[in-house]
Amino acid sequence: MSNANDERFNADWFANVLRRDTRLLVAAVPLVILVLSAGFVYWRQFTTGMGVTGLNRPSYWGLYIVNCVFFVGVSAGGILIASLVHALGVKQFRSVARIAELMAISCVVMAVTSLFVNLCWPQRMHFILLYANVSSPILWDMLNVSLYFFISLAYGYFGTRSDLVRLMSIKPRHAWLFRLMALGYTDVSPKALKRDDIILRVMAVAGLLAAVGMHSVTAWILGLTKARPGWFSAIMAPLFIVSAAVSGLALLIVSVVLIRRYLRVRIKDEVIRRLAQILTFLVLALGYFLFAEMLTVFYGKEPAVLEVFETMMHGRYAVFFWGHLLLGLIFPLLLFGVVLAGIPRRWVIIGGLTLLPIVAGIAFVFGLAMPFAKVVGDALPGWVGYAAVWIVGLALLQACANERLGEDTRLGIAAGLVVLGIFAERWNIVLPSLMGHSALPLPGVSYAPSGLELLLVAGIYAMGALVFIVAVYLLPLVESEEDEPPPPVPDRSGIEGPRWTTIEDIKPPRWPEIKPRWTEIKGP
Amino acid sequence: MPRYGMVIDLDRCTGCQACAVACKVENNVPFSSPELALEGRTIAWMQVLPFYEGEFPEARTRFMPALCNHCEIPPCVTICPTSATYLSEETGIVAQIYPRCIGCRYCAVACPYTVKFFNWFKPKWPEPMVAGLNPDVSVRPKSVIEKCTFCSHRVVKARERADGEKRKLKDGDYQTACQEVCPAKAITFGDLDDPESRVAALSKSPRAFRFGEDLGTEPKVYYLREGEWDVERER
Ligand code: SF4
Ligand code: SF4
Repeated sequence: MSNANDERFNADWFANVLRRDTRLLVAAVPLVILVLSAGFVYWRQFTTGMGVTGLNRPSYWGLYIVNCVFFVGVSAGGILIASLVHALGVKQFRSVARIAELMAISCVVMAVTSLFVNLCWPQRMHFILLYANVSSPILWDMLNVSLYFFISLAYGYFGTRSDLVRLMSIKPRHAWLFRLMALGYTDVSPKALKRDDIILRVMAVAGLLAAVGMHSVTAWILGLTKARPGWFSAIMAPLFIVSAAVSGLALLIVSVVLIRRYLRVRIKDEVIRRLAQILTFLVLALGYFLFAEMLTVFYGKEPAVLEVFETMMHGRYAVFFWGHLLLGLIFPLLLFGVVLAGIPRRWVIIGGLTLLPIVAGIAFVFGLAMPFAKVVGDALPGWVGYAAVWIVGLALLQACANERLGEDTRLGIAAGLVVLGIFAERWNIVLPSLMGHSALPLPGVSYAPSGLELLLVAGIYAMGALVFIVAVYLLPLVESEEDEPPPPVPDRSGIEGPRWTTIEDIKPPRWPEIKPRWTEIKGP
Repeated sequence: MPRYGMVIDLDRCTGCQACAVACKVENNVPFSSPELALEGRTIAWMQVLPFYEGEFPEARTRFMPALCNHCEIPPCVTICPTSATYLSEETGIVAQIYPRCIGCRYCAVACPYTVKFFNWFKPKWPEPMVAGLNPDVSVRPKSVIEKCTFCSHRVVKARERADGEKRKLKDGDYQTACQEVCPAKAITFGDLDDPESRVAALSKSPRAFRFGEDLGTEPKVYYLREGEWDVERER
């Protein structure tokens, strides 16, 4: 099955470049509108004051910071995967390396924007350097994030430029565009390629270091703040790194599955499966870290920290905690188990139903309260609630694990849930410490993002998506492979729907034959 | 060099809120409204906080005036990216440079006592009050952090007066607004390093304690514990 599947995804290397694809256009229009309205909201926030958000005392930070932390993580995770290919030479993932780089770049753009909108005085930004305070984690973060941004751009540039040069001769009408993007570089002799490889390797290592550094520093913004129980902990930075790897890899799987579906780029089923296997282990590691943290908290019974965890697990945003635990950790793990280890669905349901009385029994014996009593009311005893959650979970698992969905879709669903779970985890890290504990008896004010704040954040997402779409339009998404035979003439008959092709597009790619001539092409 | 600090006698404090009002007037702190209070957006450099104790028949309320503690090791200063909040070497006061603050609110998050306040909007006063604003204290723009400054504009004046009279600054020359108005004389302010000063003597009282001492911030605001001489069970 997997081979048949691989053959469906055989678009030639450069097929997506400059193709007038109505789907991309249709997707881009609402995104542009969102970005524009977010710009308006930012102007509003800038002129009226931060009061337009839902922030307050003591929740001085909110959704913007959660977003920033989340995207810094995804970005770092993306670079991690890309550097596996270029620094460690894991050839297998070569076909997803460029997508990972693109994801890293668009996510770091989103992260920086989120941080930027959280500050109120853009015209005073240079004060951070002018009156630098070396002990401030925000200074470290700013330096590290900018460094990382430039490294990832350079990394992307060196990784793409040989393909850009190839594109110059494949699409001569737009050669100027690719020459511009390649910054005038035209050399694709074997020697140059070899040199590029070495540069890439160095860049990959640098990018990896910068990514780890950036994410640790972001963690330390929170983790070094002694005033906030729940943040002030040595596990912060390591926990952030694992979460980063998990969210980056998971979002990469989702993007790869989607891109492959819609653009038919050449990515093998095997690659997706491998990525999902790694993700499974990382999710387990994340679970271990969280367990270690929770154990320390509940064993130590430090009152302030307990208060924070109480807020997290039973407070207004308890849904985020339980959602992360059940849907972002346990459920995807089971789904990965079913899909990757091939456990038959029948067994899952039999096992699940056998365990049902035990789950309900435990809830009954310990007299657990109704889960989500605020939503469903507490008329029924708690064990009924737990049994219901269990059954719904089983049914969901059955539905998501259905073989007819195809392996990649099922893995994509699991990875998507992991991404959402990590977002909830970031929320759980940032907000309960602010809302849940105060040394002073302040009136319990909780935080909810305001409509404008949500719109601004949606605009930031849209901006990231637009960066991605532009990249899909301009760049080959998969690194073309040197040593393989030239790709076969794509078989157009099996592709349904209208296709917008140009004359050049239909020509089979001829680059291997004309390669020697390239070094002579100078000027238009 | 002086190291200014404050001692608040909780035994004397009646919870009358005079200090809170005086502080607002002295320092041009904008008014709040019930809506703002519900949103948690009130600004009050000095607040009298109620602590409730016990159940109904035995219930009682204690009051605690809470303000910036002007920590010796202030976490808010350590983390400010632009050094907009700094520890003055001359007075030991933790002060704030408003035109330099970029509004990141990190210091507000890092203060264990949550006594930094953010200007969520441009401050507003009713028309007749604008003329009554204190000319010695700057009116803050929107989107900067502010907090108690120990009325540091007054130390300048006190110093000038002492210089004019060709003498050294002595205990009691420099007073804060909250200290001045406290009808119960619960607030004492002065130089903690001056062995002669009343504040130094009181801060060594066996009743003295500081808020969140285990945090290692070394606050310069001391509280004197209430005398527990009327505990019913111990009578
Ligand atoms: S009490 Fe808070 S604001 Fe005042 S100096 Fe200490 S940390 Fe800073
Ligand atoms: S809000 Fe202002 S004073 Fe506070 S840390 Fe940020 S720049 Fe410094």
